[in-house]
Amino acid sequence: MLLMESIRKVYRTELVATHALEDLSLHVRAGEFVAVMGPSGSGKTTFLNVAGLLDTFDAGSYRLDGEDVSRLGDDEMSSIRNRKIGFVFQSFNLIPDLDVFDNVDVPLRYRGLPGPERKRRIESALELVGLLSRARHLPSQLSGGQQQRVAIARVLAGDPRLILADEPTGNLDSMMTREIMDLLEEINERGTTIVMVTHSAECAARAQRQIHLLDGKVVDLDAPPTLLRADVPAEAAR
Amino acid sequence: MLGYNLRIALKSLRRNLGLTALTVGGIALGIGVATLFSTIRHALAKDPIPGKSAVLHYVRLDNWDPAKPHPNPAGIPPQLTYMDVAALLRSDIPVRQTPTFKANLYVFPDPSKGRPQRTLVRLCASDFFTMFETPFRYGAGWDRRADAQAEAVVVLGEETNDLLFGGADSVGRTVRIADRDFRVAGVLDRWRPSVKFYDITQNPVDVPEQVFIPFSLLRPMQVRSSGNRDGWKSQAAPGFEGLLASESTWIQMWVELPDAQARRRYVDYLTAYVSEEKKTGRFPRPLRVEVTPLMAWLREQKVTPPEITAMMVVSLLFLAVCALNLMGLLLAKFLARAPEIGVRRALGASRKAIFLQHVVECETVAVIGGALGIGLSVLALLGINGWAKTMINRSDLVQFDLSMAFLAVALSLVAGLVAGLYPAWRVCRIPPAVHLKLQ
Repeated sequence: MLLMESIRKVYRTELVATHALEDLSLHVRAGEFVAVMGPSGSGKTTFLNVAGLLDTFDAGSYRLDGEDVSRLGDDEMSSIRNRKIGFVFQSFNLIPDLDVFDNVDVPLRYRGLPGPERKRRIESALELVGLLSRARHLPSQLSGGQQQRVAIARVLAGDPRLILADEPTGNLDSMMTREIMDLLEEINERGTTIVMVTHSAECAARAQRQIHLLDGKVVDLDAPPTLLRADVPAEAAR
Repeated sequence: MLGYNLRIALKSLRRNLGLTALTVGGIALGIGVATLFSTIRHALAKDPIPGKSAVLHYVRLDNWDPAKPHPNPAGIPPQLTYMDVAALLRSDIPVRQTPTFKANLYVFPDPSKGRPQRTLVRLCASDFFTMFETPFRYGAGWDRRADAQAEAVVVLGEETNDLLFGGADSVGRTVRIADRDFRVAGVLDRWRPSVKFYDITQNPVDVPEQVFIPFSLLRPMQVRSSGNRDGWKSQAAPGFEGLLASESTWIQMWVELPDAQARRRYVDYLTAYVSEEKKTGRFPRPLRVEVTPLMAWLREQKVTPPEITAMMVVSLLFLAVCALNLMGLLLAKFLARAPEIGVRRALGASRKAIFLQHVVECETVAVIGGALGIGLSVLALLGINGWAKTMINRSDLVQFDLSMAFLAVALSLVAGLVAGLYPAWRVCRIPPAVHLKLQ
């Protein structure tokens, strides 16, 4: 599903160049639930931005769902984000002026789906996260956990192949954290690949695999580094 | 997607009503001022008789003082002497022609309806009505036979017909004007050209006269002009006949020449006429004849004062300043929305989609501002017309017509684009990743 090889990302200012990702290689298979961990400044967010085609990188190659996405234009990257990737953010990132229904509608609008199809998908996703009755509420009228469930419904409505979650439980209490993790597990069990950045060991433990980043590189503490490359199937590596 | 973008724009405008009032108000002010001055200029500068103005020509001959030219900027008298008019009427080159001037005559209503009133009367030939396409409610103008025989026939304006005959069809009825009874040949419908283009020698925005009688009655009724009269030479003989034989210029002359060839022939005719007159000692200045198309005549006489054009230009510059001011406000507003834009980009919005979303918002501001601006300009025009009513007795001096409405809408959209393109471009270039953490 996600195959990165020797990715390098450098942030440059006039005075200093910061190597956010350095020779990062990673393979996540379709249907996997992977937790990415690491201390602050280890490159987790940059990795997620590059993986989500929200940011470009300076060197290396990246294949997403079998498609080389290393050097795409803005329109193509936007289209892939819209069709194949769903984002769950720590601070939910709902649009405050839009009600729940319209928030879930946003990615579907950019996909150009017809009205009845969008409505069906939105209602189905909201039902799945248990918030159909709150469809006309504004985000400010919901609790944090409910807002994150709306964000997950927004992802579900788009039916992506890959979900990138950036500290999805970072702003939630323990009960809501469990709810959200249960939901993510449920989604993963249906075949959606999830890559979740987290600081929480408890959350990371619920993933099938944990990957540790340090100084922009993958350092797998639980497995020998060679395993990362050994994971790459021969046809994908080509 | 346009409907969706429009919904987002309206939500955004509702979010911060103070800022929205500021942006919409700025554009409304700019559009209001620009539309107001454009409308005033348009009223004065537009073709008063489209489709016909190219064939209508104003005739001038330079019979002025040999020592110095006529004091007007063109250096040629704007009107003709009676002698010359009488001679020119003999030409059969023009398809139609009319000498014309205005006079003050008494009109006698039925004693039960009112007292005699001094009324502005226009003397003209029968061709006047066809040449200037006057609209008729009842009847029509008189015919050329009435011109030739100096018949006492009259065409009444709508208001005078209301006064004399209660608005009824008065064709065939009699009205006393000065010393004789006139048979009504026709009644004009409402005729209010924004410029009194057939006679701009005095007030070019005056309303048309309400009574029209044959020019050929000038002599039998001894009608003198109540308009301008220029002369450089003393009248040789006294009295009315002396005036007719003098070098006083007081009659306007219009001819209808269908094409350039007819115009050339007519100019040749005038040249030959003046050359012959020179042999008798008249026309002492260098030979000069002018046959000027209507629109060129209006321009030459500066019916649209240069100050009005200058004010229109200034008002458009003011609109540009308003648009630039709006640009600054929108830029600040859009940049403050960067986190939301980051979310939309993450969810699949392309730069183009973000750009269009914000252009639609700018245009929404511009359209609402434009609508308010049109309202402001209409209010101002009502004020101007109110002033004109008291000053020159016409309340329809400046009309806000469809072309001005289109102009206002176009100006609004252009102002919206000018104001919005840069902020929309800036905001669509925001890297999506930067603000996602900041939400």
